[in-house]
Amino acid sequence: MSTISKEHSDRLYWLGRYTERFFTTLRALDKMFDKMIGKTHVYPEYLNYFGLADTYTDDRDFIRSFLFDMSNLNSAASCLERAYDNGIVLREEISTESLSFLQIAKDTLKKAENNGSIRLSLLPIEDIIYSFWGSVNEHIFDDEIRNIIYIGKTVERLDLYMRMKYPYEKVKLEYVRLLKNLRRVPKGTPYRYNTAQLSVIEETLGTREDYERGTGGAIDSLGHLFDTSEVYA
Amino acid sequence: MKRVNFYYSTKLTFDDYVHDHSFALRIIPPETDTQKIIFCGLNISPYVSTQQTADAFGNNVTSGYLKGDHRFLDFEIKGSAETDSSRHRTDYMPCYLYQSQYTQPDESLKAFYNEIKGRCTGTVSDRAESFCDILSDTIEYCKCVTDTSTTAAQAFALKKGVCQDFSHILISLLRMDGIAARYIAGLAFCDGETHSWVEYWTGDHWEGIDPANNCPVSDDYLVISQGRDFRDCAIDRGVMFGKYTRQLQLVRSVLT
Amino acid sequence: MIQQTQFTKTVGNAAEINELLRRYGVKFGIYKNGVFNEQFFPFDPIPRVITAEDFASMEKGLIQRVDALNEFLFDIYHDKKIVKDGIIPEDFIYISKGYLAECEGITPKNKIYSHISGIDLVQAKDGEWYILEDNLRIPSGASYPLIARELTRIAAPLAFAENEIVDNRGYAQLLKETMEHSNCGGIRAILTPGRYNAAYFEHSYLAEHTGSVLVQNDELFVEDNVLYHRTYSGGKTRIGVLYRRIADEYLDPLTFLPESLIGIPNLMEAYRSGNVGIINAPGNGVADDKGIYYFVPKMIKYYLGEEPILKNAPTYLPFYTEDMKYVMDNLEKLVIKDVAEAGGYGVVFGSELSKEKLEEFRKTIIAEPRRFIAQEVIDFLDLPILENGDGMGDTQTVMRKADLRAFVLSGEKTRVWASGLTRFSRNPASFVVNSSQGGGFKDTWVLKQVNSEQ
Repeated sequence: MSTISKEHSDRLYWLGRYTERFFTTLRALDKMFDKMIGKTHVYPEYLNYFGLADTYTDDRDFIRSFLFDMSNLNSAASCLERAYDNGIVLREEISTESLSFLQIAKDTLKKAENNGSIRLSLLPIEDIIYSFWGSVNEHIFDDEIRNIIYIGKTVERLDLYMRMKYPYEKVKLEYVRLLKNLRRVPKGTPYRYNTAQLSVIEETLGTREDYERGTGGAIDSLGHLFDTSEVYA
Repeated sequence: MKRVNFYYSTKLTFDDYVHDHSFALRIIPPETDTQKIIFCGLNISPYVSTQQTADAFGNNVTSGYLKGDHRFLDFEIKGSAETDSSRHRTDYMPCYLYQSQYTQPDESLKAFYNEIKGRCTGTVSDRAESFCDILSDTIEYCKCVTDTSTTAAQAFALKKGVCQDFSHILISLLRMDGIAARYIAGLAFCDGETHSWVEYWTGDHWEGIDPANNCPVSDDYLVISQGRDFRDCAIDRGVMFGKYTRQLQLVRSVLT
Repeated sequence: MIQQTQFTKTVGNAAEINELLRRYGVKFGIYKNGVFNEQFFPFDPIPRVITAEDFASMEKGLIQRVDALNEFLFDIYHDKKIVKDGIIPEDFIYISKGYLAECEGITPKNKIYSHISGIDLVQAKDGEWYILEDNLRIPSGASYPLIARELTRIAAPLAFAENEIVDNRGYAQLLKETMEHSNCGGIRAILTPGRYNAAYFEHSYLAEHTGSVLVQNDELFVEDNVLYHRTYSGGKTRIGVLYRRIADEYLDPLTFLPESLIGIPNLMEAYRSGNVGIINAPGNGVADDKGIYYFVPKMIKYYLGEEPILKNAPTYLPFYTEDMKYVMDNLEKLVIKDVAEAGGYGVVFGSELSKEKLEEFRKTIIAEPRRFIAQEVIDFLDLPILENGDGMGDTQTVMRKADLRAFVLSGEKTRVWASGLTRFSRNPASFVVNSSQGGGFKDTWVLKQVNSEQ
């Protein structure tokens, strides 16, 4: 049954984005955890990636806020909640099984908050999210629907990787992945890309030197990738 | 029997573009025992594909959907008919015996009914005419105090109203008295606008009565629609989307 | 008949199953003090067991009842013979809020009005089943036992190996066939008012399992009297059957409440033109009105020429002088129901009223006799519930009031789902089992017919 409304296509896209934002945030925080071993006050590096103000007392305060605090819009918990919010209205597209992995992730995150070893108790979440993607792959028969979620996922990943200054090779790989997804989008649908914006990203990621010169323009263009004003594709 | 020409138009104008505009018009007079439609033309602008159905009350419904941006919707009917008030309609429905949204009486309208019912006796027609007489002594015809959302109880409290309010109060009284009654929207000679009056069920057929003018219905009346109350007879109902804040409606109607 | 009191085996650990239900999102939304909360619908692991014999007669009785109700709905919106023949007083039809004059003369495809009927029954201590009420508008609850069975089979395979239980997992297929039977050409869609509706889980679960599109009104439009789903590429997909989960009054702002923001303009025109099937038909409320309930056994005789197989709870209509006298004389032992209310609201037990309140209520009934029905309080067969089954502390079995919502689907044939929703009251003093009033639910087992030689 393949009839996708504008409302649902947006939900699918944002489901992909928030699930990925949750996942990458969690991994980045785990890296921060690691850096904190034997060091203090390492967290401003993370805030700098996103241009966020430092309102935290110490590393621990920062970590707890970015993991669990629902009032922090950039926290893992907030991202997961928004992923779930989008998922819950997509049950018949993504399946009850896929949705259940988001619920399990929520429950696991919640339990971790009160666990002595937070890092250890967060480990299963990685498995759970991989299971979610496996389930999405398995249960969605309609390529068009699945592709919208993947576009959301890769756009988010590319955005975060550039902000977090991931190595050029890694970013380039994700860009290639995004291109593959974008080429599958049918004409006349909302996630058909804007060629002008895409070429800005293309240029930024042309060579390592281009990339290291700065990604501001590319990040900006990524945010406008689906603007309809100049669609030539 | 009389040959009449009719014309009715509405111009709906919005102060900003609207889209996804669905509408349902009850504007084409029905062919009945008391009126024969000789011809009737409907024009709608901007162009839109429409469908015709008949609703539960026997009204002609013209429905349509304007998808794209537009700032106005105009529609008009032009036609001629033969009216014959010596004949009678018999399309009875039991729901006409029961109070409806606009006619539901409140305590004071009920009290008024109890006060006057002793003076309204005899045949169904005698009673209906008596109610109508008393009503025209009680309610003052006055524009600008009521609108299309005013109920019988509200208009009665004001003791003022227009033809719609007279009709609702009379229907409410008739139904309290056990007489089935229905609301008629149409055109009449005496009026430059759309008019409304009442039909009551004699036990055998419908009889028309005009409470706003306190007179029987003659060949000078053309029925456009009928129903339990105004709600079933709204000439145009619509739902649209957009950033508009105001809509302006200009109505013109003629019966000659 | 299996005595429920003897069957207290559980289908798995309550905490585990409730955890699984949570995981799969079995929730219902509830507004308290204006705040939306999602609650889990607590599951009790002791199944209700219905014997094959009991079910066979119940099945016949339910089919008979629903067939008569469908005949009644067609009659009321057309010739009204049952009124003309004096079986039902006219008043009861036209004062009913569920009667919609706007639906006069509309004939739904195959003349089916109630495609999905939720018939609430209780079993009395003597084993007899009584009909409590008919729900012919948008009865909900089938998804809960459906998903629960999936989980109990995982949690307690042995219980299913040792007992011959009819598989109830075909409900979605049954629903799909029922929808297809009323399909006027196009895709199947389920219309939900949105995720903040109490039954949103069910809407989305049934959409998933019937292969229907879950839609909200802003994704739909009517053009040339055909209902369409607006696609994201600017195109449109025709909808042939709409299983709507919003109330009649909100369905079409151009026919019913103009202020409805969840309806589809001109849906009724598309429906009247025979271009879309609506499940269940608008206007059904006239047949599940608590006042009309009294007349259902009469309908069965009138339309089908049969004796009713299932009994109504003994009911009195204060509208009739004789019944009014009985109600006045016995008010303290009767249960009084306001015909306009649903979901367990507007139910008053005479025994629970103080003397002053009783007198006050007596006056209300005399003033508005048509508004109420009175029923004898049925001595329910209580069901065992595992208390504290979902948390810490010692568990113990307690007895609680329970009812059964049977689902009857009318398509090519009228069929009864061999299961149902067993709801129970968690409050020992309460007869009210609705989920909105804090009740829980159980798995409902219908046993297979066993050869007598066995």
